[in-house]
Amino acid sequence: MIDKLGWTLLATGAAAMPLITSNTYYLYVAISVGLLTIVTAGLNVLVGFTGQTSLGHAGLYAFGAYTAALCVTRAGMGEWAAIAAAIAVTSVVGAAVAAAALRVSGPYLAMVTIAFGLIVEGVLIEWGSVTGGPGGIFNIPKPALRTHYWTVMLAVALALWLTANLRRSAWGRAFLAVKSSDVAAESLGLSSYYVRIAAFTVSAAFTGAAGALFTFLNGYISPDSFTLQTSILFLLALLFGGLGRVAGPVAGSLALTIMPELLTSLLDYRLILYGTLLLVSIYWLPEGVIGKVSKARRPGSRTPSPDPLPLPGRGSKTSSPRRAKGRGEGQPHGPLLTAEGVSLSFGGVLALADADVAVDGGSIHAVIGPNGAGKTTLVNVLSGYYAPDSGRLALRGRRIDGLPPYAIARLGVARTFQTAQVFGGLSAKENVAVGVAGPRLGSVLGALAGTPGARAREAAIRARAQALLEALGLGDAAEEPAESLAAGLRRKLEIARALATDPLLLMLDEPAAGLSPAEITALDEQLTALRDEGGPAVILVEHHMDLVMAVSDRITVLDYGRVIADGAPEAVRGDPAVIEAYLGSAS
Amino acid sequence: MYVQLVVTGLALGSMYGLVALGYHITWATSRTMNFSQGYAVMAGAVVAYAVFVALGWPFPLALAITLAALACYGALVERIAVRPFFLRASPAWLLATIAVGIIAENVAQLTFGKDARAFPSPLMQKPIIVGSAGFYPQELLVPVVGLTLMGLVQLFYHRTSYGKQLKAVAWNPEAAGLMGINIPRAVMTSYALSAILAGVAGVLLAPLLNVAPQMGTIIGLKAFAVAIIGGLTSAPGIVIAGLGYGLVEAFTAGYISTRAREIVGFALVILVLIVRPWGLLGEKPSRRV
Repeated sequence: MIDKLGWTLLATGAAAMPLITSNTYYLYVAISVGLLTIVTAGLNVLVGFTGQTSLGHAGLYAFGAYTAALCVTRAGMGEWAAIAAAIAVTSVVGAAVAAAALRVSGPYLAMVTIAFGLIVEGVLIEWGSVTGGPGGIFNIPKPALRTHYWTVMLAVALALWLTANLRRSAWGRAFLAVKSSDVAAESLGLSSYYVRIAAFTVSAAFTGAAGALFTFLNGYISPDSFTLQTSILFLLALLFGGLGRVAGPVAGSLALTIMPELLTSLLDYRLILYGTLLLVSIYWLPEGVIGKVSKARRPGSRTPSPDPLPLPGRGSKTSSPRRAKGRGEGQPHGPLLTAEGVSLSFGGVLALADADVAVDGGSIHAVIGPNGAGKTTLVNVLSGYYAPDSGRLALRGRRIDGLPPYAIARLGVARTFQTAQVFGGLSAKENVAVGVAGPRLGSVLGALAGTPGARAREAAIRARAQALLEALGLGDAAEEPAESLAAGLRRKLEIARALATDPLLLMLDEPAAGLSPAEITALDEQLTALRDEGGPAVILVEHHMDLVMAVSDRITVLDYGRVIADGAPEAVRGDPAVIEAYLGSAS
Repeated sequence: MYVQLVVTGLALGSMYGLVALGYHITWATSRTMNFSQGYAVMAGAVVAYAVFVALGWPFPLALAITLAALACYGALVERIAVRPFFLRASPAWLLATIAVGIIAENVAQLTFGKDARAFPSPLMQKPIIVGSAGFYPQELLVPVVGLTLMGLVQLFYHRTSYGKQLKAVAWNPEAAGLMGINIPRAVMTSYALSAILAGVAGVLLAPLLNVAPQMGTIIGLKAFAVAIIGGLTSAPGIVIAGLGYGLVEAFTAGYISTRAREIVGFALVILVLIVRPWGLLGEKPSRRV
């Protein structure tokens, strides 16, 4: 409600401005705010949604500006064609930079983006025959300032609308999932590398558009506008306004453009001002000005959504998390997954030593053993997070060793983590929706524009996510932020999310840890129901012996990375080697 | 020409290496770094200028005061821009250190002035002529001091007890903490040491490059490039990368153009990272699941 009011006021103000004043200075400043808003809206997709920092966006801004200028002055193209060309060129350049940069992270990523920006700046100065050298390009035909004002304001509205659509789409969730936990995102079939490249490319396209519009503002461009300081200013505006929020770029751009204009007498202190502002944003405004405002408005009001209607069929067979026809049907007989002679050592420690495991389709297969026996390592090897030193892994006869985690996940292997890794910043339902969509994210352009096709897909994804949550008794928590859930609910949420990928095999790493006895009983029932309804095979790593003995079809016992027993629960229970491993030698 | 380029390349390269070693030192103890390390180079030159040239105090005293000031600067950066974010494993330290750096540059502009000033050195009076090449004794002093210091830092880390403690923090902060090592102090020490190295580079470079508030930016970036090329986790990698980068730069400037050296240098970083994502001798961080 207040959000709507804010947007309406902002739009009215922007629309009224050229009617109230004919002062070109004000229009010029307003256009500058608009350009910075478009850049930061794009940067928000990369930094705010996806969690990657770029210190080279001034280079992309330059690509947009110079492409547009050259299209107009050299190729005689019109303004709109030049803007389109600028967006296309910048997207391609952005994708290429991303492909090189996003193989690394942290300071290495910062370095690649800085280097890109500096190279662009250097080439602009050096390659005088094309770029005009240090003097730049001038006499670019430009529209009247008032006309340009309308163009830029429409572009701002479009940019904000597109990012808002994107945030609500499967792509938006994938971005946030990768930001929150790329490890968990890969377990759902998402390649975090490609998701990040997509985010970088979207942000590059926005930046290129703004660069082209910048060219038509002045009719003159030079390398001075595209330095490392410009890249830092982009980030500062975004951080100050509010990372990850659609309105953040507007607030940040307003503040960062207008403040220096008001304080021209303090020109000499400009850097101190920027530096202080940056520190203030990082210290006290982790969610930016916009985050601060919206929090103050709703003090502590995270009321759970009222849910007066009893949910139909909860706990009954009809709301089984398993769809009627899954990939699991019509499996050939024989083991679903086999691991043969798998060994893996960390430094001098042998975590797995020549381990053999075979899991039958549709069965519950427990993996037990004392602490440090190699159980979690086995799960990590089977799901592709660790590459074994030797041995072979096969899923339905197909070799999977050496495949990355997301590729194994796409073949139908889902998992949970010993410490539940839910995606912060997403609601419980959105967490499951990430699993439902998996790698099938649709087209980025469709997500940006919010096409009817994309919306229909979205509705289907959300409906299935809701059904899965209800099946696991999480229906009431669907709209809660995932990170605010209690530990037991997080574990369930992780299971729902893993089931959402419709797996052939589900690996649960200590699902009962931290659960109450009542919750363990419920888990026991859910696992059994899953199997009886033709659900996926389950690998259960667990310490709670009651649970293991109650639900398992087969048990593999590990000790010091070796398989010391393997068979039906009764046989394993009486095995002397197992008793010795757990209780120490009796003799 | 060729001898001259080698001398210039090694002089600059050893300084990039020295500053880059500062990135390595803090990265090794805390997995954070001062992105504004270049401003510490500038601060070293500016403080030395103020005490040695403006006040006219003797050089050893000026040097001591400069290094003490830099140690404080490093500790301050750690305290206000890194520590609040270090424990949260938040990349905010990256931007916070940049913020401190641009404030430092502005302060230098306001106190020192925006114009570059010459820093007199007895080693810059008479060039040494070898064949057709000419270079100053200062250019020979720079790599000698640089490489010696880098060696001393290595000795400190591998031979002294406190150095070993700092290394332990890098390996496993939790275990090091349990062994009674004061981790916040270890991190602060590494920042102070890192700033001192940058300050020494500033003092050594001042006679060659002149002193100006904006001198730090590009040196800091090139040193960062060197740290990344060599591998942030590898001191030997950084030393090699520093000398290599200096030579590539000198030869590009000599045979192509001064401007091209930046383009070539930074393109080199990207190429190296495409082939070796964690630097020449750096270790790939192990994935924690």
